[in-house]
Amino acid sequence: MTSHTAMPERRDTATLWRLTILLGAAGLACAILLGGLSAWFLGSVAIAGLSAAALTFNFHVPAAFVRLFALGRTATRYGERLLGHKAALADQTSRRIALFGALAHGPAARSAGWQLADPARLADYLDDVEDLDFATLRTDLPARLLLAGLTVAVVATAVLAPLALAPIALLIGVMGLGLRRLLREGEACWQAVRDRRRQGAEAFGRILPSVVPLQAEGAWPGRCAAALDLFSQAEDALAALRLAQARTDALAFLLGPGAAVSVMAAAWIAGARGAELLVPAFLAFAWLALGEAVQSVSRMAVAALRRKTAQAEIDSWAAPDEVGTGAAAFAPAHMTHLHRHSLRRRAPDGRPLGDPLFIELKAGRPTLLIGPSGVGKTSLLKQIAGWIGDDALTGQAGPLCPAQRAASAMLCPHDAAILADTVRANLFAQGRCDAELWQALEAVELAGRIQEAGGLDGWITQDALSLGEAQRLNLARAWLSDKSLVLLDEPTEHLDPLQGRRILTRLLERLSDRIVVLSSHGVAEWPGSVTLRL
Amino acid sequence: MRQKCMIQSKASAPALTSPAAGAAGFAALDKANSLGKSGLRRLLAWQLVRSAVRIGSAGSLALLFGALIMGESVTPALVVAVAALVAAAALASLMADRCQALAETSVSKALRVALRERLQAMPAGLQRKLSPGSAAVAIQRHPEAIAALVVGHRAATMMMAAGPLLAAAALALVSWQAALLVLGLTPVMILFFALVGGAIRQSARAQEQAFGHLAAQFADRVRTLPTIVGNDAVAREQAKLAERLDVYVGRTMGVLRLAFLNAGLIDFFAALSIAMLAVFLGLGHLGLATIPGFSHLALWQSLFILMIAPEYFGHFRRFSEQYHAKAEGLAAAAGLDDLLDITADPPVLPAVDHALAELADLPPHGLVVISGSSGTGKSTLLRRIVGIEEGAANGAVIPAGSCAWIGMDSFVPGATLEEAIGEGLGDQAIARVSEVAGRIGLLDDELLRGGLAAPIGPGGVALSGGQRLRIAVARALLGTGTVIADEPTAKLDPATARSVRQGLREIASSRLVIAASHDPALIALADRHLALSPAGVTELAA
Repeated sequence: MTSHTAMPERRDTATLWRLTILLGAAGLACAILLGGLSAWFLGSVAIAGLSAAALTFNFHVPAAFVRLFALGRTATRYGERLLGHKAALADQTSRRIALFGALAHGPAARSAGWQLADPARLADYLDDVEDLDFATLRTDLPARLLLAGLTVAVVATAVLAPLALAPIALLIGVMGLGLRRLLREGEACWQAVRDRRRQGAEAFGRILPSVVPLQAEGAWPGRCAAALDLFSQAEDALAALRLAQARTDALAFLLGPGAAVSVMAAAWIAGARGAELLVPAFLAFAWLALGEAVQSVSRMAVAALRRKTAQAEIDSWAAPDEVGTGAAAFAPAHMTHLHRHSLRRRAPDGRPLGDPLFIELKAGRPTLLIGPSGVGKTSLLKQIAGWIGDDALTGQAGPLCPAQRAASAMLCPHDAAILADTVRANLFAQGRCDAELWQALEAVELAGRIQEAGGLDGWITQDALSLGEAQRLNLARAWLSDKSLVLLDEPTEHLDPLQGRRILTRLLERLSDRIVVLSSHGVAEWPGSVTLRL
Repeated sequence: MRQKCMIQSKASAPALTSPAAGAAGFAALDKANSLGKSGLRRLLAWQLVRSAVRIGSAGSLALLFGALIMGESVTPALVVAVAALVAAAALASLMADRCQALAETSVSKALRVALRERLQAMPAGLQRKLSPGSAAVAIQRHPEAIAALVVGHRAATMMMAAGPLLAAAALALVSWQAALLVLGLTPVMILFFALVGGAIRQSARAQEQAFGHLAAQFADRVRTLPTIVGNDAVAREQAKLAERLDVYVGRTMGVLRLAFLNAGLIDFFAALSIAMLAVFLGLGHLGLATIPGFSHLALWQSLFILMIAPEYFGHFRRFSEQYHAKAEGLAAAAGLDDLLDITADPPVLPAVDHALAELADLPPHGLVVISGSSGTGKSTLLRRIVGIEEGAANGAVIPAGSCAWIGMDSFVPGATLEEAIGEGLGDQAIARVSEVAGRIGLLDDELLRGGLAAPIGPGGVALSGGQRLRIAVARALLGTGTVIADEPTAKLDPATARSVRQGLREIASSRLVIAASHDPALIALADRHLALSPAGVTELAA
């Protein structure tokens, strides 16, 4: 786990977790003692019932303890579940906040194509996050309780029926071997499940947009079958994991009864008879009760191995540790000028593109990037914004590194997303008054639509808006931005040409004191702008 | 150039239309139910065996321990029976788990086969409406969730009836009064269930709306992260997320407090029954009171009763833990049905119908260009020409599956440029890959370095639309059969557009090429030109 994700949770929930484990221990103790005590009690009364001792037998104390343990088990189980979930959920909040921060400062969010915008990748990512969120509850907590229970039972056995230790050690050893095998094989299975699922989603994601050509060419049925077959292979791997779990559970089932019989047999061989067997019977039934808890051991193992894989995956998304949030976040004073004599353009994967470029960007004189799709317009915008590459550009007050530019840039991606939130939140304009927000919506010809949808505090989602509406909301964000460097990627995409022209005219007028760079493959030139052909 | 020859008689065209179009709904749940029937029966049988053998092994243990404590003789047969029954219980448990895993997997896979057949037969015109990402999620996850519902959950439901009865029968063998006692507790428990269940549903409903907004906030912010970064709002969103997650946690705890009561109640009644039984049995053994059914029992009988009583309640508990499996399975079934039962009324485009009639008579080779402003149905017409558009009265003129399609959305196979062009072609064609790629300008593309070995990423992710299009042109040049081209020169720079036009013209000398385009230069090269407009079709002499 990286330092981003580890720190905040401990402090907040340590007490809750301590309470949970205490309740869990009490619950397990109640269950074990209930099993032992009721057997001892029945045995005692049965023996007492044979003689006159029946009349003097103090019946009430053990019966009261039976009631105590029975109800105690119920109450502590409920409390343990509730507190455990409370602690896990509290951890979940701090972990997710930290994860979000790490993700935001990681390189993936800035480079080409945000993979987590894809529903399949996002769903896998969320599964991983959940595997982490509940790992403590599913594996650490029950494993510790079980270990404590086993230790107590083994110690008690060593005192009361030492001969039984040999078969019990054998049973535990067999179960341990089974567990080890499950962990080893299970990890491979689980990895296979994940790989096939991802490959299937990718394969399907690739063919579906080409469904028209593929069907026309007669290749659709084959490609479709191949993609879906990967999902079914994933399920075979999952079934293999479940079978391995079933084997481990069967071995674990033997522990309780096996240990119970061993304890009674050991006491018998050691010469205990009749009432002398009552205490061993207590222990034997305690082992039986403990055996119930052992039966979830395979689930703990699987939760543990899922956590391991999830952690590795999630770490790969996060920022490397040295990229801190505060490192170079100070924004330079208002920029009016940026230039570089020879800028080596780079593709998102880092390889150089084309010949070095002379760029000179000035406030009040928009720069229009044009060129066929795939030529690297978006990459150049990101490079100027300081999102990719490590080139310095020279501003009016000296060279500006990427982090400095990023701090004073607003980048409007062409596939800008709508947050599931209010319109106000979606405009990212804190501190602006309502009149200004409406003015911006007016400028992008969206005011009427937003009024209908419930005004500035109406809740909107990606699906609620059409592509064109989303694009216009995106331009309203640029309208409201106070950054001195505004980068617009394909600002008129999804818009009717005339409407696009109207809105862009208003927007560029509004941003006339900023450095504006926009890319387009539709608009070839723009009055008052310089054109940079790539 | 204008020979009269029918490429495809219209009479055979309807056979090419998709059989699934207009068919009945997918009905995922019904399908899964019938697929899972035999697996469910087997699973149920194994679960009954497991329950019975567990009761048997508990009985043998009770006999053994009872005999030892009371100083009665223990026969070797009893010791063997204990070992055999415990081993059998472990084995039955293994078999039941195994059976469940296999049955669920097979239902899920069979469901996916049905899904696949449906997708294979669905006309492309409809499938274009699917979102690849959410469709992939649905195909990946929904069958599993449905299988868990129709096998695992249903078995647990049935065992909730059969399991306790089995346990009660075992109790009745020893003392029917004890059996009556646990049976008598059940209606009380169910009454409590009804009360708690109502409260849970009520509170869940009340919180649902606020919940809906909160539940997916983390996922939503992850999805939209680049936009948040672009607007310099990471810190703000992080703070907001923290606040909302806290509220979410608070509400979730409210629901859980009630939801856990379910399991808690079952535990309570199990505990209550044990406490009551222990007291009755104790009194019975001491002989201090005569309680019918609890007096004059052997020790093993009391031990047996005490061991089986929790088993009676265990089935209820197992069922209550499966609650989410039901909700998930039902949602998944609805999701699959939504995904696969999409229908769309074919747009009313009279121009397209007219054009199809015009195109009934097509020459074996030549270049046919269909022009028209956007919205007049050029692309729809192309899809209908090959019979892959939704709607029954299709009138395909080219058999689907026999042509080469050129478009920005063409599928790009392979990992290198060479594989992308040559995949699935004959040896003769493969020998010409390099020559054709050079002619179409793919070998001197500055953005595609490395010649034929240039890596194109899986599915051509690294390619631009123009590059995809040119790869499709190269494939068409090397292939055989009719070529359909959808806007083959749009979004290309002039030089590349020229080479694409030349390529199409070259193919047209020996094969038929039908292109939708408003590129005047391409129209100028056409042998036949149809202009679509909202009003109808004009055949313009080429």
